[in-house]
Amino acid sequence: MTPREIAVVVLIAGGVFFAVVAAVGLIRLPDVYARAHSTSKSETLGAVLTLGAVAASYGIGFNTLKVVLLLLFMFLTNPTAAHAITRAAHELGIEPWTGEEGEDEP
Amino acid sequence: MSDSERRVARGGPYVGSPIIMATVRVVMPFVFTFGLFVMFHGADSSGGGFQGGVIVGTVVLMLGIAFGIETTRDWIGTRLPVALIGLGMLAFLFTGIGSVLLGAGFLEYAVYGDLGIPHASKYGIEFVELAIGLIVAGIVTGLFFAIAAGTKGGESA
Repeated sequence: MTPREIAVVVLIAGGVFFAVVAAVGLIRLPDVYARAHSTSKSETLGAVLTLGAVAASYGIGFNTLKVVLLLLFMFLTNPTAAHAITRAAHELGIEPWTGEEGEDEP
Repeated sequence: MSDSERRVARGGPYVGSPIIMATVRVVMPFVFTFGLFVMFHGADSSGGGFQGGVIVGTVVLMLGIAFGIETTRDWIGTRLPVALIGLGMLAFLFTGIGSVLLGAGFLEYAVYGDLGIPHASKYGIEFVELAIGLIVAGIVTGLFFAIAAGTKGGESA
């Protein structure tokens, strides 16, 4: 394999790993704050690594510039969206899960 | 927690978040430019007036979420979305009926070449895409404000 193919495979493997971590966190964690905590960071990193693989496979050119711009805005907007959701949940008065009342929770 | 409960209970003013405001300030011009880009690329590649209009309308939605919906409605006013829809509709009809007046079919752009416009078919499509984008952006903005006003009842657009 050429060095570029190795880089693409490594980036895609990292992206898939973080996307799976985000999905597991979204299903297993108990409340909205914990789920936002899981998805905002892991999902951003997974998407950014996958887009990095796309940019690496294109090589230098105009398409790469577009993908890098997309990657940059993904980095900016994804955590901000998670912040907006958790902030709205806090303004609505949703209590964070502390594990005191629910013994059946994992 | 009791503070936020009190704020929700008395329906106090929206308190903006500096993180969301800063991100919207940075991202907004790029989103607007991207909407225009999609709109103008409808003729020869993927994209078009409908998709671009939705993206341009999203700018107003982001402003409403970041700075408060009431503030944004006061800033934009209730007439601007309706004016955008009317302007786009008039431009579309002007292009369509103009070609009929010049002796061709409805929206047959090639006849504008007789007036000395180069690449009349191409620029005709671009102009109509822009008009459709205006209509869609106005409708998205107006629908957003109408839905946001719905919980209080009575108020329109």
